[in-house]
Amino acid sequence: MINKLTKSLGALALAAGISTIAPQGANAQDTVKVGVLHSLSGPMAISETSLRDVLLFTFDEINAEGGVAGKKIEPVIVDGASNWPLFAEKAKQLLEQDKCAVVFGCWTSVSRKSVLPVFEKNNGLLFYPVQYEGEEESKNVFYTAEAVNQQATPSIDYLLAQGKKKFYLLGSDYVYPQTTNLVLLEYLLSKGVPLENIGGGFKKDESGKIISAGKYTPFGHTDYQQIIAEIKQFSAGGKACVVSTLNGDTNVPFFKEYAAAGLTAEKCPVVSFSISEDEFRALPAKQLVGQLGCWTYFQSIKTPANKKFVDDFQGWLKATTVDGVKKEGRVTCSPMVLSYNGVYLWKAAVEKAGSFEVDKVREALQAGISFDGPGGKVTSQKNMHLTKNVFIGETKADGQFKILKEYKNVFGEPWLKGTFKPKTAAK
Amino acid sequence: MNKRTKIELAIVAVIAVILIFVLPALNASGAVSNFTINVWGKYLCYAILAISVDLLWGYTGLLSLGQALFFALGGYMMGMHLMRMIGDLGQYKKPIPDFLVFLGWEQLPSFWVPFSSFAFSMLMVIVLPAIVATAFGYLAFRSRIKGVYFSILTQALTYGAALMFFRNDMLLGGNNGFTDFKFLLGADVRDAGTQRGLFIASAIVLIAVYGFCRWLTTTKFGLVQRAVRDSETRVLFSGYAAANYKLFVFVVCSVIAGIAGALYVPQVGIINPSEMQPDKSLEIIVWVAVGGRGTLLGPVIGAVAINALKSWATRAYPDLWLIILGGLFILVVLFMPKGIVGLPAQIRGFFAKRKSTETPAAAQPSPTAP
Amino acid sequence: MRKFLCAVILLVLCASGIAESPKEVISKTVLLEDSEEQAKRVGALSGANPEELIALLNKWKEGGIFIVENADGTKVAVTLDEDKDAEDKQTARRLDTGAVFGRVVAADITTAETDSTLRLAMKSVLDLAELSSPDLKRRLQAIETMGSEQDPERLPALLAWQAKETHSRAKRAIQEAIALIQLKDESDDVKIAACKTLGELGSIPSQDFLKTTAKEANEAGKAALVTAANGALKDIAGHVTFVNTAGTAFRGLSLGSILLVVAIGLAITFGLMGVINMAHGEMIAIGAYTTYVVQCVFGPGLELSPFGINIKLPGMNATDWLYDSYFIIALPLSFLAAALGGLALERGIIRFLYRRPLESLLATWGVSLVLQQLFRLTFGANNVQVSSPSWLSGNWTVNDVLFGWNRVFVIVFAIAIVWGVTMLLKKTPLGLLIRAVMQNRQMAACMGVRTERVNMLTFALGSGLAGLAGAFISQIGNVGPSLGQLYIVDSFMTVVVGGVGNIIGTVISALGIGLLDQSLQQILGNPVLGKILVLAGIILFLQWKPAGLFVTKSRSLES
Repeated sequence: MINKLTKSLGALALAAGISTIAPQGANAQDTVKVGVLHSLSGPMAISETSLRDVLLFTFDEINAEGGVAGKKIEPVIVDGASNWPLFAEKAKQLLEQDKCAVVFGCWTSVSRKSVLPVFEKNNGLLFYPVQYEGEEESKNVFYTAEAVNQQATPSIDYLLAQGKKKFYLLGSDYVYPQTTNLVLLEYLLSKGVPLENIGGGFKKDESGKIISAGKYTPFGHTDYQQIIAEIKQFSAGGKACVVSTLNGDTNVPFFKEYAAAGLTAEKCPVVSFSISEDEFRALPAKQLVGQLGCWTYFQSIKTPANKKFVDDFQGWLKATTVDGVKKEGRVTCSPMVLSYNGVYLWKAAVEKAGSFEVDKVREALQAGISFDGPGGKVTSQKNMHLTKNVFIGETKADGQFKILKEYKNVFGEPWLKGTFKPKTAAK
Repeated sequence: MNKRTKIELAIVAVIAVILIFVLPALNASGAVSNFTINVWGKYLCYAILAISVDLLWGYTGLLSLGQALFFALGGYMMGMHLMRMIGDLGQYKKPIPDFLVFLGWEQLPSFWVPFSSFAFSMLMVIVLPAIVATAFGYLAFRSRIKGVYFSILTQALTYGAALMFFRNDMLLGGNNGFTDFKFLLGADVRDAGTQRGLFIASAIVLIAVYGFCRWLTTTKFGLVQRAVRDSETRVLFSGYAAANYKLFVFVVCSVIAGIAGALYVPQVGIINPSEMQPDKSLEIIVWVAVGGRGTLLGPVIGAVAINALKSWATRAYPDLWLIILGGLFILVVLFMPKGIVGLPAQIRGFFAKRKSTETPAAAQPSPTAP
Repeated sequence: MRKFLCAVILLVLCASGIAESPKEVISKTVLLEDSEEQAKRVGALSGANPEELIALLNKWKEGGIFIVENADGTKVAVTLDEDKDAEDKQTARRLDTGAVFGRVVAADITTAETDSTLRLAMKSVLDLAELSSPDLKRRLQAIETMGSEQDPERLPALLAWQAKETHSRAKRAIQEAIALIQLKDESDDVKIAACKTLGELGSIPSQDFLKTTAKEANEAGKAALVTAANGALKDIAGHVTFVNTAGTAFRGLSLGSILLVVAIGLAITFGLMGVINMAHGEMIAIGAYTTYVVQCVFGPGLELSPFGINIKLPGMNATDWLYDSYFIIALPLSFLAAALGGLALERGIIRFLYRRPLESLLATWGVSLVLQQLFRLTFGANNVQVSSPSWLSGNWTVNDVLFGWNRVFVIVFAIAIVWGVTMLLKKTPLGLLIRAVMQNRQMAACMGVRTERVNMLTFALGSGLAGLAGAFISQIGNVGPSLGQLYIVDSFMTVVVGGVGNIIGTVISALGIGLLDQSLQQILGNPVLGKILVLAGIILFLQWKPAGLFVTKSRSLES
């Protein structure tokens, strides 16, 4: 309604040739609109506000150095409010009304899936920065996110190398854990881990084919007693570990119960794919020490590029006057860095293509563009994913990760299901 | 027909003309943006839903906290049809919905098969909410569960259903639900023309539902209905089977909510279980309470006003939105029991009271019929 | 030549091991960069004085050893004394000599870190050392690890210790570990005997090993061994069934107690007063946040900035038992805070709505939204961290059935609350007044009871109990702005099933729902299906008994 009014007013004003809006028109020549589509309210705001902050920081940094192809970035920030239909509505607004050249946003897979049709219809470009289940490839989305083979399978490699023989799969009941665990099941079988050493249970369809592996709990689940009792028995013989795709909130009751049952990282480590430094802030650190994480960036990476990034971001936080930016106790984490990398990759692609047009930018991205980010070099691929370094880390009491292992230049592969063949009769 | 009814009908007629003819025409000519049409289409669906809640609460005294469930069920039925219409244009280029491929299915589960038919799906939009409502309503009303117990039980019902739909094993898309719709009756859903068509359809349904409820409340049935609200025991003693009346209204309202859901889904492009969580039902009740319960125009006004306020406030004051909503609700319950619609009368009453101090305050909470 | 070299290196290593005390070795090892080398050196330490070794390695593991630089740039390992001054400076002592190095700020110096490779090496050294540890728990853990590693070299040490061990649990553990190692024995007879022992012990950890043994024996065609292993497995399976049943019963009880604690406040406000308080969940959250604030005051202090107003609470920086006792202080405070919140709610809103229960539902839902957002603005949208005092974390294992201390505490606490509330209602003047008002408000008023005041106090009591529940929930789950929403449906269900206006009904219904939920979870192996079935069960149950388990008899037509 209000939009409609302003729009028609604007049209009227233009028609009348009122000079006051002329500077605005001239201004539009020097700026390019960039959309930011994250939840700033609702349950997802906890995670997504950090991404908004880092995006604004990146825009300021780029604008200070002359902008993108000579144009200053003008951010258009909208709130998805953790409401998936609203995400689609806001995406429409960004593309159809504001005509944003590119949008950075989304966290959950469901929000991405809900905006996908909008981007495809309007031929927009979305940069998606959060680890996801793969099995998707749209020409309108660039996935800076970790694919399953850039997070889950390297962790399994690491655990196998540590002599682990039994794997308990546990996750929140949504698409990312379900798909990841199915891929992991195939992967474990291909590494010669027998089916009876994979815990959490299976579900088969009529033909006896496994269609779901692992134990699933809903969002906001609070009672982990039963599952912990199961893990306790599962790990009683030693050499066991838990592969957790539990989502942020549920980790607290899970780890509290885990510790209360006398399970420790030494006896039976938990590798979690959804706990980064940012989520760590709300978890009982004492009970998590020694548990594992796997991301393509950790704040504890000791490189000059990372130090500069962390310092600059902290400096920006102190100086910024943007509403609602929390200034104390902030950390950097993988989704934030992948957002940051995304902006720079887009900038490089625009400058290479010499145009803001989505088709041309995409072509430039698909041809392969590299950027030296805080987590090391990343390179865009033809399939709209990123080649990047993968790190395994273990949690410390101060909420940071100690890096244990680095896998260099891992190619982002979204289509993994059915690619790992089980080792037959491995002895 | 008294004067007030005449005024109301005139207003409705004007709104109908604007919604069905003027706005779509303006949209077709480009004066009203597709975005606006889309948002208003959503509001209209909410308005239909709000009427269904009001028919239950305002007219029959049944405060159902499960109305969002029926809305979502209707939406899911429509969603299933839309999913089938994607055909093999999904990410996997397979003839079954993407999420089923995700879960390792190669063939369509049998209960999905009939949803390829539009007629069947539309039938289910009506039948499924009706079945659920009949089963639940029969049990609840037979054992004379009423008042707050009814509210709490309906809340449990929708909570349980949401938990169930969240599970991926249901084969209904789990937490992600259905999205990425492509075609409806051969037309591209994302097309501006189709959206306009859906907007007109929502407007027509809204007017029709309004008309139906208006007619229903003037019949003898409507009288009994209100009598049940005011004193169920007396109705029982007068020899009416109150349970049957309540069951009928409950089923009718669930069907209306289901239809609203079916219209809503293609317009927003997604349906998932968060639509049936208990808070959603409570939110609908806020619309009705703010608009004015026990009237038919009130819920419509409430639904549109609150949602417009929400669209604005979540942008302007995202931090304060919940406080505004909650505060508004407390104020309405405490000071405006008749909502926006009843405000003029309340103000008149207030002044009348000041004039003649001898008459006691007419602030009794019983909502009057229009 | 190579052999000779190796021998020399080994000799040198041994010599250095003998010549240097563990303290000296560790002071050097800490400074190394390569964790493999560190692991090797730590491994060579086994055999040294166990107490000293355990203390040192644990200190290292827990980050109690720091690295500082001398003036000439060489690095030295130090430990810090507990003598923090106003500038946060502490005395640093050299690890090897104990000499004072200087005063430093802990946050400015590097902690000697450990990683998993190193910790694995430490663990194996510690295991051996800990076998003779006076602490039963540590001894048990060491024994368990030795068993699961099935390393025949550890057998003599275990056998030797078996004779000395006096504690029954440790004895059993040693028996189990020895049998496990014996599964790897050359002789089939020893293996069969080991199988039998394991079966008799009902040893759950040995299942995987027994399966392997059975498989290998099957391939080698040793029928007797296969029978023995399978027999043992069957015995163990029987034991597992017992453990699961007992465990489920306990877990059901503990879940029931949690339901009871969250619902008992509601049983008073809803059951006795007939007020539908949708903000009950937020009263629970008030209690949980109060616990958080108290914890922060005992710890490092707290800074809040709601609506741009800065509030700074100084911290006591308490440690050990004093810090752990924060929870004791938090309990009454969370009761008080929530009771005050309830009082305000009753005075401000609910007292206008006593005749309109449906509308009290709506208004309190509005309150709940506002409160949730206030929490968010005050404490942030993130969950806050509440750590459990050490006496609440840990468990007590009897015959493989696990009793978490926090759970046991909840059960005890639930009993105490029910007892307290019953006493209050039955034995105190206030209880008498409450019951009188609940039974017949008008009549009570006629008799001179100040019903308004009784309402106010009853509501405050119900809210305060919700606050207590919040203090508990902070120990087992999340503390966040939407905490209350998680429990609201469950608590209403509990009260409705129990029968409104009846505390005993609520108790039975809470325990029943808890047990049913956990049993279904155990049987179905699915955490959600159980909950859905319980909800469906409740709806059907109310068909049978519409007024709940215990009906308050009344002659009035409409309640």
